[in-house]
Amino acid sequence: MSHGEPRPESFADEVLNAPGGEDLVHCFSCGTCTASCPIQWVEDAYNPRRIIKMVIMGMKEQVLSSPVIWLCSACDICYQRCPQGVHISDVMKAIRHVAIREGYEPVRAVAQVNERACSSCGMCVQACPYQAIELVPRWVTIQQVMRQHRALPKVDKFLCQGCGVCTVTCPVSAISVVGVEDDGVVAQIREFAQETSSRVIGR
Amino acid sequence: MVDASRHPKVDVRTYTEVERVEGFVGNFKVLLREKSRYVHADRCNGCGECAQVCPIEVPNYFEMDLAPRKAAYVPMSQSVPLVYGIDMDACIHCYKCVEACGKLNAIDFGMEDKLVWEDIGSIIVATGYDHFDPSVIPEYGYGRFDNVITAMEMERLNNSAGCTAGNLIRPSDGKNPKKLAFINCVGSRDKRFNPWCSNFCCMYGIKNAVLLKQSHPEMEITIYYMDIRTPSKGYEEFYNRAREMGIRFTHGRPSLITEDPETKNLYVHSEDMDLGQVVEREYDMVMLNQAAVPQPDVDTISSVLNITQSPGGWFMEYHPKLRPMDSPTDGVFLAGACQGAKDIPSSVAQGSAAASRAGRVLHSDEWEIEPAVAVVWEDRCVSAQGKKCGVCSRACPYGAIEYERGKPAKVITAKCHGCGGCVAECPHNAITQMHFTDAQILAQIRALLAENPEEKILAFRCHWCSYGGADMAGTSHFEYSAHERGMRVMCSARLDSDFIYEAFRLGAGAVLFSGCHTQDCHYITGQPVGERRAERLRKQFEKMGMTPGRFRIAWISAAEGDKYAAVINEMQELLDSIPKEQLHEEVEKLRPQMEKRARRMREVPQVEEALEFSDRLAVAMIQTEVLT
Repeated sequence: MSHGEPRPESFADEVLNAPGGEDLVHCFSCGTCTASCPIQWVEDAYNPRRIIKMVIMGMKEQVLSSPVIWLCSACDICYQRCPQGVHISDVMKAIRHVAIREGYEPVRAVAQVNERACSSCGMCVQACPYQAIELVPRWVTIQQVMRQHRALPKVDKFLCQGCGVCTVTCPVSAISVVGVEDDGVVAQIREFAQETSSRVIGR
Repeated sequence: MVDASRHPKVDVRTYTEVERVEGFVGNFKVLLREKSRYVHADRCNGCGECAQVCPIEVPNYFEMDLAPRKAAYVPMSQSVPLVYGIDMDACIHCYKCVEACGKLNAIDFGMEDKLVWEDIGSIIVATGYDHFDPSVIPEYGYGRFDNVITAMEMERLNNSAGCTAGNLIRPSDGKNPKKLAFINCVGSRDKRFNPWCSNFCCMYGIKNAVLLKQSHPEMEITIYYMDIRTPSKGYEEFYNRAREMGIRFTHGRPSLITEDPETKNLYVHSEDMDLGQVVEREYDMVMLNQAAVPQPDVDTISSVLNITQSPGGWFMEYHPKLRPMDSPTDGVFLAGACQGAKDIPSSVAQGSAAASRAGRVLHSDEWEIEPAVAVVWEDRCVSAQGKKCGVCSRACPYGAIEYERGKPAKVITAKCHGCGGCVAECPHNAITQMHFTDAQILAQIRALLAENPEEKILAFRCHWCSYGGADMAGTSHFEYSAHERGMRVMCSARLDSDFIYEAFRLGAGAVLFSGCHTQDCHYITGQPVGERRAERLRKQFEKMGMTPGRFRIAWISAAEGDKYAAVINEMQELLDSIPKEQLHEEVEKLRPQMEKRARRMREVPQVEEALEFSDRLAVAMIQTEVLT
C-alpha cells in the first residue's frame, strides 16, 4: 500500500510486463552485450545496451520506430556473458511485442511459401527454431483446374527471424526468405567463384 | 605481526587449527591442533641451511606459484615464528636437511600434531577472504593465455621483494610489457559467480596502475571499468591523481579477450560507452582484478564456533548497523573481511572494535543477558526417566541445551538467547520460557478472543521483525483492519502448534503466523523452525476443510509496514467474503478436531498452576550458578 495515486504505466513497465521483459531492470549498462554482439559487427546502429537504456528512459517513439530492434537473431552470446543474467534476446522480443501491439511492422526479411510448389510435408514446421510456421488447412486451386483442401504452412511474420533453416530443409524448395532466395545465393557463389577462380566449385 | 608476536601479552599460534569450541561467553574451552612442522620451534634459529640443501622444489603459494620454494621452507620472510618447516607432501626423505642442521638438531621427522585444550574468555574470528579463480570465466582466457594474469600475481611481480625483484615481465617471453590493461569486476557484480561488489578492487586496481606508472612513465595503462567506486576519504582524490598521471579509464566491461598466437599479445574487446562504439585494442598484458570470495572452509568454522553465514558465505554479524563486529553467539566477535569484503582501514576499524568488545568480556565478572531464557521442568523431562529424547537440544540454534539420556535436559543459561524454539518443540511440555510461558501466552490468546472471536484476526508476531513491521505500519499511518489483535513472541519458533489450535478452538476468524524473513532471523535458525511448523499446520488445516487463508503465513520485516497492513487487509477481505453463518458452521465443525489436537491443553492451561510454576522457576533461576 502506498500513498497517492498509482503511477501511470511507463514504457519501461510495458516492456517489463510483456513476456520476456522481466529482466529489463537488472541491466546496469556495462556494455558486455554490445561488445559481444555479432550483429553489431555488421550493423553499427544495433546496440542492445543502448536500446535497453532507451526503454528504461521511456524513449518509446524512438525505440519502437527504430528498424534495429528487429535485428537480434537470439544467438544468446550476450546472455552467456551478461553479469546480471539479463536474457537480452527475450527483452528484444518483449520490445517487439510492444511494437506489434502498437501497430509497428517488423522491418526484416521473412520466409515466404510458394503454395503451388508446396507438398504439405510439414518439414519446415519441424525445422523452424522459432516455432514461426504452422500448417493451416485451406482450399487451394491446383494447376488452375482442381480445388483441393490442403494443409499449407503459414509463416508468422512476427516470430520469423529470417534465418532460412526452412529453405534448406524443404525438399521441394517451396519456401524461401525474401531477398535471399536460392537463385540469388547461387548466383552470388558463382560470382565469388569466378572472382577467385576457385577450383572447388569448378566452372 | 612480528610486533604482535613480541608483545608480552600476545601469544601468536601459527600453523594451528581450532578443532572444537565448548562452553560459553567468558568460559570457552578450545581444542587447538598445533600442526607438526617437523622442526622444533625452540631449537630452530631460522638460519635456512636446511632449505639450501633441500633438493626438492615445489610452487610457492606465497608467490602465487610464480616462483619455486623448497620442501624445507618458511612461508614468507616475515613469518611468525621464523621457524622452518618440512612440507611432508613434497619431501623425499633424503635427510640432507637433518645433516645440515647439525648440532642444533631441530629437525624431527617423528614429530606429531599436538592437541591442546585452552581456557579462552572470548574469541575473535578474523579469517579473511580468498581470491576468486578467474579461470572459470571462459571469455577472459585466464589459464589459457599466458599474459592474462590476476591482480595478486601482478602484486608479486611488481614487488621488490617478489620473485622477479620488482621487474615486471610477461610470463610468455620474459619481456617488459609496454601496454597494459586492467579489468575490474572479474567475478564480482556478476550474478553468474558472485553478486556482491568486492569493495576494494577499484582502489587496488588504481593503486597498481599508479605504482607502475610511477616506475615506468612510458607505460600505457588502461583500466576497464563498469563503475569506479571510490567512496572513502582521499580515494576520489587518488582516482583524480591517476587520471592526471595519464592512466586511461575506459567505461565498458570487456566481453572477450583474444590472443595473437605468435606474439602472445592480447586483444580486449569492449564497448567504449563514452565513444558509443565497440573497440578492440591490443595489449601486451592484461590484469584481472578478481573478486574477493569467502574462505573455502567457512562451513567448518561456522560449525565449530556456532556462527552463521550471510548469503554467499560471509560470516553473519549480529546486526548490520548497530553490532557489525558481534556474531550471534555471545563472546564470539568478527573482524575484517571474513564478515564481508572490506578494505584495510575498515578492517582495522572493525578489528579494533572487536578487540574492545572482547576486552569487555574479559574484564567483567558477570555477564548480563536477556531474562527471557528457557528453563527445564525437571520432573516432566522424559530423559530423566531414562527415555530417549533430546528434541530440545536439537532445536536449539545456540547449542545451549545439554542432553544426556538418564538426566533431565540442562539449559546453559549464559548461552540461551531466549528464542523459545525448544519450548515449542518439546513433546512433553517439560521446558518453558521465562516471560513467555505457555500459560501467559494462552491467557493472552483467551483474553484477545474473549468477545466475538469470529470477527477477530489474531496476529502472532515475532519480536524482531513482524512486531516492528506492525509498529511501522502504525507510525507510517498505513490503515489496516481494526479487528486485528496482535501478540508478541520472541521468535516464530516459539509459536507452538497448540497456540494456533487453541485460537481456532476458541473460534478465531483468522490467524496470522508471522516472523522474520529467513535471512533476517535473529536466532540463527529460529525462523526456519517456525516456518516448517507453520507449513505443517497449513496442510493440516487444508485437509480439515478450513477455508484457505484463514490461517495465513507471512514473513514481514520491521521495515515492511506497508506489507503488514496489506496482509491484514487481505485477511479482513477474506473474512468479509465468508457469510457469517458459514463461518460459524466451519468453526463449530472444526472445534472438536482442534480440541483433540491441542493435546497438551489438558496439562497447562490452568492459570493458577502456571503461576505456581512461575514461582518455582524464579527460585530455580536464583539458584542457578550462572546468575549468582
